Amino acid sequence: MRRPTTRSLAGGAAGIAAGILGGIVLGSGSAGGTASPARRAPVEAAHLPPLLTMPGEPITLRYAIVCSPRDDGLPCDGSGDVYLRPGRRGPFRRLALGRGDEAVDGRYFVDVPAQIASSREGFSYYAVLRDEENGDSVTVPSGGEAAPQHSLPLRNAVEVRVGLHAFGSTRARDVRVITAEWGSDVGEAGVEGTRELGFVGPSSFDVDAHGTVTVLDQVNGRLQRWARDGVAATPVDVSGGLADMAVEPDGSVAVLEPPNRSTPAPMLRRFDATGASKGVQRLADRTWAKLADGPDGPVVLQQPSEQWMPAALDRAAQARHGTPGRPLGGGRELLVQRVGAGELRLAEVAGNATVRAWRITSATTLGEVQLAESLGSRIVVVAKTYTEDQGEYVVLVLDRAGVVERFGLSAPQWAEAAPLARFRLAGSSLYRLGSTPSGVFVDRFDLEVAR
Amino acid sequence: MKAFLVTLGIGVVLAGATGAQAHHRFWARCNYEAPTFTTSMTRDAAQDYANAARYEGYQWGGGCWNYDDVDSYPYDPPGDPSAHGEGGDCSGLTFKTWRESNDEWRDGRYFWFAMRNVHGPYTAGRFKRGDGAPNHVISKSAVGVMDAFASESHIGLVFYRSLYGGDQIVEAKCESCGTNIFYRTYRSDPSYSGVARWGWTG
Repeated sequence: MRRPTTRSLAGGAAGIAAGILGGIVLGSGSAGGTASPARRAPVEAAHLPPLLTMPGEPITLRYAIVCSPRDDGLPCDGSGDVYLRPGRRGPFRRLALGRGDEAVDGRYFVDVPAQIASSREGFSYYAVLRDEENGDSVTVPSGGEAAPQHSLPLRNAVEVRVGLHAFGSTRARDVRVITAEWGSDVGEAGVEGTRELGFVGPSSFDVDAHGTVTVLDQVNGRLQRWARDGVAATPVDVSGGLADMAVEPDGSVAVLEPPNRSTPAPMLRRFDATGASKGVQRLADRTWAKLADGPDGPVVLQQPSEQWMPAALDRAAQARHGTPGRPLGGGRELLVQRVGAGELRLAEVAGNATVRAWRITSATTLGEVQLAESLGSRIVVVAKTYTEDQGEYVVLVLDRAGVVERFGLSAPQWAEAAPLARFRLAGSSLYRLGSTPSGVFVDRFDLEVAR
Repeated sequence: MKAFLVTLGIGVVLAGATGAQAHHRFWARCNYEAPTFTTSMTRDAAQDYANAARYEGYQWGGGCWNYDDVDSYPYDPPGDPSAHGEGGDCSGLTFKTWRESNDEWRDGRYFWFAMRNVHGPYTAGRFKRGDGAPNHVISKSAVGVMDAFASESHIGLVFYRSLYGGDQIVEAKCESCGTNIFYRTYRSDPSYSGVARWGWTG
């Protein structure tokens, strides 16, 4: 081997420098892609369906049509048609959407004709929305004519007035079922984030009929089960995003993940009890709100359709089987609609028939409905109630006569969890997922109906 | 010459390493042109703009993206503005969607193209307090399409309200989340305030 000369060293240094510069130029060139925006994205939509209406209430269907941004900063040139019919059968009638001056609730609208709005069986409808610039269109709900949205009149609803919420007067837990400090050992729970960006802890949990608590410890890529004989961890292949989770009757677990940097669409992942994958399915729609264990497998409330869809099916089949209410089995559904600042409408329906219904009004503003589930002949509802700087939960156990039980619960959430995954009902007990700077916990509240 | 060619290759390989490109990556393709003053600013045009930023990634302190539906640098170290990757952060996305000025006293409407690299002067916490002439705090129950919810660490724009009382939020939340529309319950969260832009024209 020859000794390097000054000339060869200089040549080498020059080569490295030139190579780095060249590499950077090449790298930055490929990084940017197109310098000028040229996006022609599919048209997107949003719509809040009037699932439960008061008799005689005027009904306007409003839509947001979202297209590629224009270089002049003006909104897109959209149009659309709504197909409506009384009840759930018969031909649809086409009505063109009007274009309003305001977009705060959706610029495109149609007033439902009185003869359709007043039908005792309500009405069903879907919309086809278009971007006039490129002819692209989107159907809402995704299933279109095969699975239209339904709107029902809220007749004979039990009126429940909850008045002003007394913040600070919350019920204490019956039992703290699990406590897990932040960490990665078995029995601990993963947390990530920073003080500047906020923290994320276990995003969801579920409780089976035996009281076994399963926590989705997605930061550590695992499920943890707390049973009477101790805690066990099962690794699962999840992305680590804020996911919802449901344990199915056979012990399988469904994990509903949000879109992320590598997977731009929400996905449902299913695992058997050992953590082995049972499959992955993309959702029909772009956004999800909540996962539940339905009578025929996992169901997901999806947007923009605002329908519950059987998420284990392929995308087209999900859309064809969308329903406005959460399926309860036996052809029944539970419809939930938050209205205005302090109103919540609930109805259990079978086809066009309302089995039972409630109209809850609160003098304190209501937030999201965390849980609404059947418990025998009753319905358990957990809704957030809030002011500008306070937030607690109000729990209502309802029957055909009104409120059977009511209490407030605090909202201990130091680390973020999935949006509608903080409560579970198992047997006649309500379970709450919470967190503090030291760890995560699940509390149990036994409902009076069991005693 | 032989040594030059061999080491030229080594240099090209080294240039591919993260550190060497740190300050010469996506931002090298961004521009610094002046915004376009507009007389109108509608909420649905803002929806168009924010929706188009979906899939384009997240960059702490960033505000520049193209429209190829891919985050060109999806694995940047979180919280490092020197990574110079693609995408806005939460406040950068809000600033550009709300057509604000770098001058806090200006409340006019300034349209920034996606590849214009601008973050604006506001953090999430400053938006929360309604800082700047174009911004103000509003009641959370009144927050509507393209108004926002802001905490000390995050801000997200309301894409649309939703069943069950939550909101569809378009936001640049974190490096691994990218920019997208998510269902959130910020409205009832005491750590969030309702904030809005003055001057919507429809």
